[in-house]
Amino acid sequence: MALIRKFLTIFVRVWFTAKMAMQGILSNPLRSALTILGVTIGVTSVVSLMGIGEGARLAVIEQFESLGTNVIQIQSHHASVVFEPEYADELVERVDGLLVATPIVNTKATMKWRRAIGSVEILGASSDFPTVRDHKLIAGHFFTSLHVKQRSPVAVLGYNIATGLLNGRNVVGYTLTLNGQTFRIIGVLAQKGNGVADNIDNKIVIPYSTALKLDDKRTVSEIWGKAPTSLDADLAVVQLSRIIKKKLGIGAGSSGSPSVPTDPGIIEKEMLLKAAAGGYVVYDSVMPYPGSGSSSGSSNLSFIGEDIVTITNLNQLVEEADSANRVMTLLLGGIAAVSLLVGGLGIMNIMMVAVNERIEEIGLRRAVGAKQGDLLLQFLLEALYVSIIGTIAGIVAGVWGLGIFENLGYETAVSMHAIKIASAVALSSGLLFGVYPAISASSVPPIEALRRQ
Amino acid sequence: MLEIIKLKGISRLYKIGQVKVTALNEIDLSIEEGEFVTIMGPSGSGKSTLLNIIGCLDRPSAGTYELSQKRVEKLSDSALADIRNKYIGFVFQRFHLMPALDALGNVQLPLIYRGVFGRERRKRAKAALEMVGLADRMHHTPSQLSGGEQQRVAIARAIVVEPTVILADEPTGSLDSKSGSNIMSIFRNLNREQGITIVQVTHSEEMAQYGSKVVRILDGQIERIDKVG
Repeated sequence: MALIRKFLTIFVRVWFTAKMAMQGILSNPLRSALTILGVTIGVTSVVSLMGIGEGARLAVIEQFESLGTNVIQIQSHHASVVFEPEYADELVERVDGLLVATPIVNTKATMKWRRAIGSVEILGASSDFPTVRDHKLIAGHFFTSLHVKQRSPVAVLGYNIATGLLNGRNVVGYTLTLNGQTFRIIGVLAQKGNGVADNIDNKIVIPYSTALKLDDKRTVSEIWGKAPTSLDADLAVVQLSRIIKKKLGIGAGSSGSPSVPTDPGIIEKEMLLKAAAGGYVVYDSVMPYPGSGSSSGSSNLSFIGEDIVTITNLNQLVEEADSANRVMTLLLGGIAAVSLLVGGLGIMNIMMVAVNERIEEIGLRRAVGAKQGDLLLQFLLEALYVSIIGTIAGIVAGVWGLGIFENLGYETAVSMHAIKIASAVALSSGLLFGVYPAISASSVPPIEALRRQ
Repeated sequence: MLEIIKLKGISRLYKIGQVKVTALNEIDLSIEEGEFVTIMGPSGSGKSTLLNIIGCLDRPSAGTYELSQKRVEKLSDSALADIRNKYIGFVFQRFHLMPALDALGNVQLPLIYRGVFGRERRKRAKAALEMVGLADRMHHTPSQLSGGEQQRVAIARAIVVEPTVILADEPTGSLDSKSGSNIMSIFRNLNREQGITIVQVTHSEEMAQYGSKVVRILDGQIERIDKVG
C-alpha cells in the first residue's frame, strides 16, 4: 500500500514535470521553433543524403544484376589466344561449379531493314545464352542448339532494336538482313536497362556459328559461364584458372611452352604470389606486384606485362562496387551528422538561456518542495522534446525531399538504417547537450535563485 | 504552548573571497504555536538570513534547529525539500508566481510536489483561494491580477499545504499601503481564526503592529524582543 502510494506520488510529480517542460517550449514559440529547426535540418540532411547514397548503391547493384547472377567471364585480350567454340562445353564438363557456358562472338554488321541501313552490334552465342545472363523473352523464343548446329540465319533482337523497327509492334516473323544475309526474327529479349558495359538492349543475338560466318575475321574471344551458386562460382574460378593456365602452357609443370620465357624463376615467383595473395595470378618479371582486385576471386594470366586472359567473377565485381558505395553512403551520412551536432549545440545554447531566464521559477519550485531531481527532469525533458520534435520533422522532411529527388529522375531509397542513425544521434545529442543546463538549473541554491532579479 | 520553532546557538557565516562575514551570531529563538512574530532590523542585520534558515532554504553554520520537535539542520537537500513542502508556507516580497499558470494552477503547485491527485488538488486550491477572497479570480493569470491580488494568490499557495508556519519575507514591500494593510489583515485573520503560526520580516513599524511579538535584530544578534499592544 505504501509502495503504491509512493508510486502514485512520483507519477503525479513526473506527469506534471513533463507538462511543465512542454509549457517551457510553448512559452517562447519562435525561439523553440528555431531550435527545433536546427535539429530538423540535421536529421533531414542525414536521411536525404543517405537515401540518395543508398539509392545510387541499389542502382549499381541492379545494373550488375542485369548481367545475371553467378556469371563468370573468360576473356581473351590477346590476338594469339583464341577459344574453340567447343571449348565452352569442355569447360562445363571439367569444371564442377560450372552449370552452362556459351562461347561469345562480338562483332558488328550492317543491318538493312526495309529501306534503312545502319550499323548494329552483333552478339554470337549458344542456345544457353538466356540461362547464363538470366534473360527473358517478351516475344517469340530463343534459338535452339539445332539452330546453332545448322548455322541458321535466325536473330533474337534486343529490346530497343525490336521496338524501334515497327514502332513497338511485334517484329517476330519479319526478316532483316545482316551483311547482306537474310535473317528471320524469332524472338525479342526483355528490357534490361542500362547494364554495365553490356548494353544488350541495343544488340542482336544470333547463333555463334552463324556469327563466325558473317565475316572471316571473327573469333570466339570470350566464354561466359554460369554457376548455380555464388560459392560454386568462386570454386569455378579457381578451377578454370588452373585449366586455362595449363592450356596456355604456363604455370606449374608446364615450363617450356614456346610462348612463355622458360626462366625457372617464373615458377618460383608464381609460388610466392600464390602464397601472398591467395589468388591464382601469374605475373612475369615486368610486373612485380599483384594489382588490386586480382586477388579477390578474379584471375589474370599475364604475359609480358599484359593480361592475356582474364577470368572474372561478376559477383565479385558487384561486391566490390557495393562496398565502395556503402563507404560513400556512410561518408555522406557522417558529414550530415555534423550538422546534427550543431543542432545539439543549439539546444544547449537555448537551454542555458532558458535556465537563466527561469531562475526565479526554479527558486520558487525549490521553495515549495521540488527536489533537484524534479528540476533536472524538467529541463532534460524540455531539451528532449526539442530533439524529438526536430527528429520527427526531420524524418518527414527527409523522406519528402527524397520523393522530390525521385521525381526528378534520380534513384533514391528511404533507408531505415539512416533514419535509425539520425534519430539516435539527434536524441542522444539532445540529451547530452541538455544535461549541462539541466544540472546547472537543479544545482542553484534556492535562496540564490529567489534573490536574483 | 508548544514550541514549534526552536533555534539554539544558530550562526551563519559567509565566505566572500578571503573575508568571512558573520550574518548570524549565536541566535537563540523560540516561537510557539499560534504566534505572529515580526522580525525587524536594518538592512544587512541578518533578518532575511534568519528567515531563510527557519524556512529550511538555508542551513546554519553552527547551532541546532528543531522544527516541530524534529532536528532539521543536518538534513539532506532532498529531505529539506520535503520539510518545506509539508511544514512551511512561503510568501515573498516579489510574489514569485508562475506566469504561465492561472491562480488555481499556482496554488496547486506545492500539492503537486506532495503527489496529491488532480481532483483533490483542485478542491483544496479552491478552498484556499476562497479563504483569501479570490474565488472569482481563479482562472486569471498573474498578469491579469493586481499586485495585492497576486500576493493573495501567493498566500493561498502558502496555506494550501496546511503548514505549521507561514514565513513572509517583506510581504507588503512591493504593494501600496492600502493593498499592504489588506494583506496584513488577511494574515491576522489566518493567525487568529485558523491559529496558523506566522513569522514575517518587515521594515515597517506599522506592519509590525499586526503581529503579537517583535524580534529586533542588529548585527546578526537579537537586540531585544518586544510584545505588541
